[in-house]
Amino acid sequence: MTKEEQIKIINDSIIQTKTNLKPLGLNFVFWGILIISMSLFHYFFAELVQFSNYSVVIYWVLIPVIGMIFMTNYNIRKGVKKGYETQLDRVIKIIWAVFGLSWLVHVAISLIQGINAPTLDILFSLSIALVVTGIIIKFKNITIGGLLLLVFVVYNNVFPGLNFLLMNVFGIAFGMLIPGISLYKFKESK
Amino acid sequence: MDKLLLNPIRLKVISTLANTEFCNFNFLLQLTESSKGNLSVQLKKLEENRYIKIHKSFKNNYPNTNCSITDLGRDQFNKFINSIISLKQ
Repeated sequence: MTKEEQIKIINDSIIQTKTNLKPLGLNFVFWGILIISMSLFHYFFAELVQFSNYSVVIYWVLIPVIGMIFMTNYNIRKGVKKGYETQLDRVIKIIWAVFGLSWLVHVAISLIQGINAPTLDILFSLSIALVVTGIIIKFKNITIGGLLLLVFVVYNNVFPGLNFLLMNVFGIAFGMLIPGISLYKFKESK
Repeated sequence: MDKLLLNPIRLKVISTLANTEFCNFNFLLQLTESSKGNLSVQLKKLEENRYIKIHKSFKNNYPNTNCSITDLGRDQFNKFINSIISLKQ
């Protein structure tokens, strides 16, 4: 084997194990659509969702947990099919696992303390996860979406009074859904 | 120059594992375009020399083999690249 052949083998091997970010875009689109749909349904059919104290908790915990199980299963299947995991895949997985854990902690604290909606705390954690992800994958739209969400959260902390459900709709749409679609489309066109 | 990495299949395996956290056997099979038996032999040689770790498990009753590079394997791969570069210069 000549030196050129050795270099070619190394180059080809590295090229074949690039991180595919399209599934990440699909994850953002899935969660964006799910949370926006849930918020709009809750907003327009409040009597149905809030017919008891527990119904709201069940609505906002059970459906996201089912979503988490579904998407985790999808991501594992995709990973097995792909056959390898890059360092970047692992970092992204850890960031979103930590966000999932922080979501559970926010929900648990709000239940223990009797706070109605931990929306702002969750959106804050989400904005940080989005900004960090955007910086790591070097995709500006995700970083900008995360920063917009962060500004939105800070504004609502300083000037409270907005409806939490509408806040969820606008925050998730501009912070997650639209950047997620652009990531999915960008990687598809590549 | 490390003789173990002069074999094209072993070089493909080690350069892929150096760029990933882990790879499964089927992916390496597709990447190296070798037979199952040959790949198994080459993986075993790399494992015996502690360049890689092989993790065997079962998923849905099917055997699942994942490989990852060790610190020693990464060092040897880096040395191999440096030796190629120095030879080219």
